[in-house]
Amino acid sequence: MPTLDFTLNGRPVSVVAEAATLLVDLLRGPLALTGTHVGCDTAQCGACTVLLDGQAVKSCSVLAVQAQGAAVTTVEGLAGPDGTLHPVQEAFIACHGLQCGFCTPGMLITATCLLRSRQQPSDAEIAHALEGNLCRCTGYVNIVAAVRQAAAALSEAQA
Amino acid sequence: MKAAVDNPDAGRYGSGHAVRRIEDPALVQGRGRYTDDLAPAGQVFVRFVRSTQAHGRLVAIETAAALAVPGVLAVYTGADLEAAGVQPLPPARGFKRPDGQPMSTPPRRALALDRVRHVGEPVAAVVAVTREAARAAADRVVIDIEALSAVSDALSAVAAGAVEVWPGAPGNVLAEAQAGDAAAVAAAFAGAAHRVALDLVNQRLAPSTMEPRSVLAWVEGGRLNLSLSSQMPTNVRAGLAATLPGQNLESVRVRVGDVGGGFGMKSVLYPEDVFVAWAALQLQRPVKWQAERLEDFLSAAHGRDLLSHAEMALDARGRVLALRVRSLANVGALPTGSGVVIQLLIGPWVSTSVYDIPAIDIKVSAVLSHTAATGAYRGAGRPEAIYTIERLMDAAARELGIDGAELRRRNFIPPAQMPYRNAMGQTYDCGQFERLLDQGLALADWPGFEARCAASLARGLLRGRGIATFLEWTGGNALEEQVQVRISADGHVELTSATMAMGQGIATSYAQLAVDVFGVAIDRIRILQGDTDRANGFGSAGSRSLFTGGAAVRVAAQNAVAEGRELAAQALEAAVVDIEYRHGRYEVAGTDLGIDLFELARRQPGRAILAEGGAKAAAPSWPNACHLCEVEVDPATGAVQIVAYASVNDIGRIVSPDIVRGQIEGGALQGIGQALCERVVYDADGQLASASYMDYALPRADLFRDFKTVFDESVPCLTNSLGAKGVGELGTIGATPAVVNAVVDALARGGLGREAEKLQMPLTAETVWRGLRRDFGPGLKLPD
Repeated sequence: MPTLDFTLNGRPVSVVAEAATLLVDLLRGPLALTGTHVGCDTAQCGACTVLLDGQAVKSCSVLAVQAQGAAVTTVEGLAGPDGTLHPVQEAFIACHGLQCGFCTPGMLITATCLLRSRQQPSDAEIAHALEGNLCRCTGYVNIVAAVRQAAAALSEAQA
Repeated sequence: MKAAVDNPDAGRYGSGHAVRRIEDPALVQGRGRYTDDLAPAGQVFVRFVRSTQAHGRLVAIETAAALAVPGVLAVYTGADLEAAGVQPLPPARGFKRPDGQPMSTPPRRALALDRVRHVGEPVAAVVAVTREAARAAADRVVIDIEALSAVSDALSAVAAGAVEVWPGAPGNVLAEAQAGDAAAVAAAFAGAAHRVALDLVNQRLAPSTMEPRSVLAWVEGGRLNLSLSSQMPTNVRAGLAATLPGQNLESVRVRVGDVGGGFGMKSVLYPEDVFVAWAALQLQRPVKWQAERLEDFLSAAHGRDLLSHAEMALDARGRVLALRVRSLANVGALPTGSGVVIQLLIGPWVSTSVYDIPAIDIKVSAVLSHTAATGAYRGAGRPEAIYTIERLMDAAARELGIDGAELRRRNFIPPAQMPYRNAMGQTYDCGQFERLLDQGLALADWPGFEARCAASLARGLLRGRGIATFLEWTGGNALEEQVQVRISADGHVELTSATMAMGQGIATSYAQLAVDVFGVAIDRIRILQGDTDRANGFGSAGSRSLFTGGAAVRVAAQNAVAEGRELAAQALEAAVVDIEYRHGRYEVAGTDLGIDLFELARRQPGRAILAEGGAKAAAPSWPNACHLCEVEVDPATGAVQIVAYASVNDIGRIVSPDIVRGQIEGGALQGIGQALCERVVYDADGQLASASYMDYALPRADLFRDFKTVFDESVPCLTNSLGAKGVGELGTIGATPAVVNAVVDALARGGLGREAEKLQMPLTAETVWRGLRRDFGPGLKLPD
C-alpha cells in the first residue's frame, strides 16, 4: 500500500492508504476527521467538499492518492490556530445559516473557495457557486446571506 | 463565572430575542457527533443485500462465496433470524378493511423470509471487519428470486385482477376510513348553486434528510446499546424490546447524538435497525450500518402518495356548503403504523381547514403496492388535506367568477366562533384567519397584481398568483412532557428532556426559556437529550417539542428556583418568604446578604441542586397562516419561475425569532420542491427510477430564496402555558398549494381557463409545457 505525504489543515501528515481508498474515507477513517460528511453516493450533495490545493473538490470523488504532495483543508482547518473562527464560520452562526449542520462543512468549504476568487459576489453568483451543495433544512436563504456577510467581513479585514 | 452570573444583562438571551444557537459552534467546526462519527474499537460493518425484484418468491440464497471473502464474520438471512426468534416489527393497527374485519398487514421483518415485496427490501446481511470487505462480500451473495408480477401505484393495485400484495388485504385494500355525514353532504350537493370537482395527485416524495439513516449497536455491561439517528429514541427502544428475543425495556439503552435532519423520516424503527442490534448481540462486537443514499431512497419512509377526487358544493354567494373527498393512499408493501394513520386519520382531521364548512363526507382507502412503505414526512397528512381544499377554493373562485381571496374571506371561521369544532370533530382553540389574510394581501401587494401581470406579459411571460390560507394540527396528540434539572457546582444548569433535537434548534429554544427563569447567561444552560436511560417520552414529531417540552422546561426551571430558595433560606439563616431570586443569586430582601446559585449548589450533597417538572397541553395547537405566491411561466419552455413569495404566520408566542423564520422558509422550500420538482418514480414493474439526486430533483440554492415572512404574535395558543403553536411543518404545508395555485392561475389567464386545473404536481417545465398544449396525461379515474 502506498504511503501518502501531504499537508492536512496546515500540518504534514504521512499515512498509508490503499490505492482504491477515497479521500473522504481516508479523512473520516484513519485520520479521524469526521467533520467531512457523506450525504450521497453520486457526487451530488457536496457534504464531503474539502479544499485540495485551494480548490473545492468533492472528496467522495477524489482518490486519497491524489492528495499526495498537496494541501488539504477540511472544515476542522478553517478556524485559526488559536481557535478564532473563520469569517465564514462566524457568518454562518450569525445568520442562522445552518440547522441540522450535516451539509454545513461542505457549504463552508465551498463558500471559502468562492470568496478566495470573488471578493464581492452577487447573491446569484453565491447561489450558483453553492449549486453543488444540497441543504434540506434552511431553504438556502440564510446560507446565501451568510456568504454575503462573510464576503463583507473578509474585505473589511483586508481594507 | 461570577461575572457571568452577576451580569445584570444576563437575561438578554431569554425568549423572544434573536440569539446565536448554542448548537452552532461545534457544528461549524466539524465537531458534531453524528452516529457515523462514532468509531468504537473493534467496530464491524453491515452491508445489506437487497431485493432487485418488486415482487417474488425467495428460492435460494447462496452465501458461501461471500463467507470466503477475507474479513467477513458472518452472512445472515431471514431464516437465521427466524430461527433465532427475532420477531417482525410492530405492525400497523387500528383500522378496518372494507368488509369490517380488522386490518391485516404482511410481516415486516428485519430480513425477508420466503417472499420479497418491494425493490430494496433487505434479504441478507453481511458483517465484516471493514466496509470494503462487507461490500465485496455482499456482491458475492447470490439471491435466486422467482419474479412475480407487481403493482407499483394505487390505481393499478385496486384494478380488477391485480396481483395481491398480501392475502389479508383483498383487492389490495388494506384498510378504509370513512367520516362525516354522507347523507347531509349529498343533500347539500343536490341543492347547491355551484359544484366544483378536481382530481388531484399528491405525489410520493423522498424526505431526504441530508444525513442518511445510521445506526451503531454494541453490548456494554450486559445491556444492548444503540446509538442511532432518530427523532424518537424511546420508540426505538420499545421496538427493539418487542422484536429481539430476551430483550426488554430495561435491557436496552438507546442514545442519539447529532441528527442530520429528521422531517418525520427518522421517527420509526427500521428493519435495518433491528438487524444491526441483533447482530451486535450475536457477535458481541460493535456493529455499524451507515445507509448509502441509494438505500434511503429504496427503504427509508417515503411521504405523501395520495390520489383524490374532491368535490365542493357552494351556495350562490360563495359559501361552502359541503366537501366530499375520495382518496386512495398508496402505503407501500410493508406498511408502517404511521404511514396508515397519517392518511386515514390525521390528514382528514384538517380537511375543512380554516373554513366554516358544515358538512363533510370523506373516505380514504389505504392501498398496498409493491413499493417502499410510506410514513411521516414534514406535514404528514396535513399537506395532502390542505392541498386538496386550497385547490378546490381556487377552482370554486373561478366557477363563481370572484377573487380567490374574497371567496376565502366569505368562508373563514370568525373569531367569535372560537373555540370551533370542525366537521371532523376537531376543536380549534383560536385563530384570526381573516386578519392574517388581510396582512398577507398587503404584504404581497395583491391589488398591484394586474399591473405586474401586464408587465410580465409585455416580456412574453404568463404571470399567476396563488394563495393558501390554512391551519394545521400539531402535537401528535402526545401532549405531556417531563424535564429534569440539575444545577451543578461547576456553573451550569442542565436540563434533560425526552424530546429530540434534529436540527430544528430546540436546544437553543429550551435554553432561552430556561434563561427567562434563571436569569443567567445562556452559555450557563446545557440541554441534554437522546438517552433513554435519562429520559423517556414520545420524542420529537408533529411539531410538538416547544409547546409540550418547552412548557415543561419552564415549570421544571421554576421548580428548581423554588427548591433553591428553600436551600438558600437554610444557608442564609432566613425565612423562605424573605428570599429573593434574581440573575443567578438569592438574596435576603432588604439586606446585602446573599448567595450565588452555583455556590449554593456547591454546598449541597452531590454538589448539585436537583428538581424536575412537567407540563401537559390541554389540546393540540393549531398554527395557521396565509401564504401567497407569484410565478412567471415561460410559454415557450414551460419553465416556472417563482417571482414573489409572502407569508403571514400565526404560531402564537415566539421564543426564538431566527429559528422560527428558518423553519418557515426552509419548510416552504420543501413545499416548493413538491410543487415544482420532486417525485419518487416507480416504473410499472416496481423498479425505482428516482434513486439518486441525479434523478430525484431536490431544490438547490438557485431555486428561490426571496421570502417575505411575517409573524403575527397576537393570538397566543390557549392550550399550553407558553402560548406557543407548533412551527415545524407550517411552511411546507402552505407552500405547495400557494405555488401550484399560482401556476394554475398563470395558465388559466394564459388562455386555458378552467382546463388549467388539470395540472398535476410536480410542475416541471415539461408538465407545464404540455399543459399549455392541453396535454394533461391520461388523467385519474378513481374507482367509485
